[in-house]
Amino acid sequence: MEQREQQGKTAAVKGTDMARKVRGMVKNIYQSAHEAKQAGGKVAYSMIMSQYDEILRAMDIVPLPTENFAGVCAAKRQMDRFLLQAEADGYSQSLCSYARIGLGFDSLRKEGSGIPDNSPDGGMAMPDMMLGSSSVCDPRYKWFQAAGRFLDVPRYNVDVVSPPIRANLEDTRDYYIRYQKEQFRGLIAFLEKQTGRKMSDDRLWESIRLCDEAWRLWYEIDRLRVAVPSPMPSQDHFSIMAAAHYYAGTQIAVDFYQGLYDEVKYKAANKNGVVPDEKYRILYGAGLPPWHTLWIFNYFESFGAVFVIENVYRAYDPVEVPSSVQDPVEYLAWRTFLRVTQWHEKASARSGNPYVEKLLEMAADYKTDGVVFHACRSCRASTLGQTHIKNLLGRYTDIPMMQLTSDMVDLRDYSESQWKAQIGAFIEALAARKRG
Amino acid sequence: MLFAGLDIGSTMTKAVIVDGNEKILAALVGPTGAEHRHLAFQVMDETVRKAGLSFEALDFIVATGYGRINVPFADKQVTEITCHARGIRAIFPGTRIIIDIGGQDSKGIKLNDAGTVANFVMNDKCAAGTGRFLEVISETLGIRLSDLALISAEAEGFVKISNMCTVFAEHEVTSRLAEGARIAEIVAGLHEAIAGRVVNMVRHLGIEKDVVVTGGPAKNAGLVKAIADKVGLPVWVPPEPFITGALGAALLGKGFAKRNATRNQTRRMESVTFFA
Ligand code: SF4
Repeated sequence: MEQREQQGKTAAVKGTDMARKVRGMVKNIYQSAHEAKQAGGKVAYSMIMSQYDEILRAMDIVPLPTENFAGVCAAKRQMDRFLLQAEADGYSQSLCSYARIGLGFDSLRKEGSGIPDNSPDGGMAMPDMMLGSSSVCDPRYKWFQAAGRFLDVPRYNVDVVSPPIRANLEDTRDYYIRYQKEQFRGLIAFLEKQTGRKMSDDRLWESIRLCDEAWRLWYEIDRLRVAVPSPMPSQDHFSIMAAAHYYAGTQIAVDFYQGLYDEVKYKAANKNGVVPDEKYRILYGAGLPPWHTLWIFNYFESFGAVFVIENVYRAYDPVEVPSSVQDPVEYLAWRTFLRVTQWHEKASARSGNPYVEKLLEMAADYKTDGVVFHACRSCRASTLGQTHIKNLLGRYTDIPMMQLTSDMVDLRDYSESQWKAQIGAFIEALAARKRG
Repeated sequence: MLFAGLDIGSTMTKAVIVDGNEKILAALVGPTGAEHRHLAFQVMDETVRKAGLSFEALDFIVATGYGRINVPFADKQVTEITCHARGIRAIFPGTRIIIDIGGQDSKGIKLNDAGTVANFVMNDKCAAGTGRFLEVISETLGIRLSDLALISAEAEGFVKISNMCTVFAEHEVTSRLAEGARIAEIVAGLHEAIAGRVVNMVRHLGIEKDVVVTGGPAKNAGLVKAIADKVGLPVWVPPEPFITGALGAALLGKGFAKRNATRNQTRRMESVTFFA
């Protein structure tokens, strides 16, 4: 019975109309890559949060987000053949499952000389280049290193650097920014060589403007979500983040968030909540979402527990780059520095941990009753340190916390009955705390 | 007034009846076993008779454990975590950490000053660190579960069992035997391995005294000693560790009745169905 349910239902019921439009946008990512290839354009395998989105847009390179493709496969429960292919090729089951899906897909495509039949959303087009980054984790460049060699596709890796928490930012800032700028310059030189065209600064400024505007709107939307009852739940967040990450630097993203902003504002003003009787407000503390079982958010809602905010994917609030910065590449370097150091001051003043500071602020602002973490076995980046963060957080707040364990896409690491047992106990802990 | 708690675990079903003064009138433990699912219902029935009561006399019945969902005669379902917390606090009021080793899973539960659940952890989808692990290996060794404590008491050290997986650990034990290791040291090694796994998990909660170990395997003094050594604090074991979940369920039933919680209007003393 469990198996039947697992295959039948993966998606969550969304709270907003705009979130329901995202499916088409995601499909279009892969479609536009196929179209670009047919029209002689260039397609690049890319990684989100690599800080280079606008550069690709300014050079008309179509980004193909390989991590997102893995999520799409999981949401459609079509990941097994890719995972198994990668494992048959010798990749360990402990390697990032996004990477395993991507590597398995590439392997099947090469083996069959074309896109594997019935690939989700039409599958990924053959890339002209692969753009890794050191931002977030090592698979995000090691994966492309392996795939690039396997497919004989040129690759470039951007180093995205972040100073330690207690670094003296005043003293080190210029060095970091200079190095970051060199990294972007290196990438641009590589892209110019691959495309045979020069990048225009004006185009780059334009895509920066659009990207910043979209991210500003996204931030404003999240601020509206402090409303009680919650006007937009986390399952919507995990859809709508597609615009900021996969359409970064485009008017599409700006228009999308403007529409969502209007909708969320209306819902908040009219107290139009996600569930009729919101009993508990939950903070999604850390970890990638369980793409294979997103309906779990609705399961929480059946107990009146709504995920009102989350600390994943919208990794930074808008930042103010000094107006004296006139060069768009330097602007990107500055923005990167300001983004990655955003929580340094607060962290060094108290817990020493930027995530803990952010979670504490979110818990207070969004009046949350509990925190849920998701440990993904194969994503070290989002899982390592989670227990430490949870314990550290426990020193400053007494709200109940729970850590669910599975994987972001690999269903073999998930147990529905265990999750339901844990969720039941967590809800009881929330109820007991409310009763006082 | 009378309150009953029924804890349907993966291997054993436990029932407890208490009166308004929280005095235990009757308690019973019987197998749940795959082919004996109807026994869950029989355990309740026999407990009622043992207490010299009629089923109708029970004011509130709370079911817990993995089989709690489809109990036709229960008024309410509550998870084992909350029930263990309530049951253990009734026995050891100063408890802050509960280590519950079940047949199929283990849990760590942290209680706050008020005695309610502040945090918890559970092992995942794996028999290592559970009663099942001990069962499988004791079968391999050809010894009874109840003899494990006595046998390990004779050990002069322990044989390290490094495999976490029950199936591989079974192979490992067979190899160690073939190499001439003594059973006493192997059993001590098993206790060591389970204690290591469980205590590591519970450390996520931050261990504070008082620490209580409960669940069937808590009857194994060898295992409890290994846990105490790892925790670095004395650990307490309830007089009847099997029934703390059912006891907690019965006591919670008293609370529900006091708060006038709605009773199951169609309460029927019928078999428990595990699958809808
Ligand atoms: S390890 Fe985690 S952060 Fe890194 S690529 Fe995989 S999913 Fe992304």
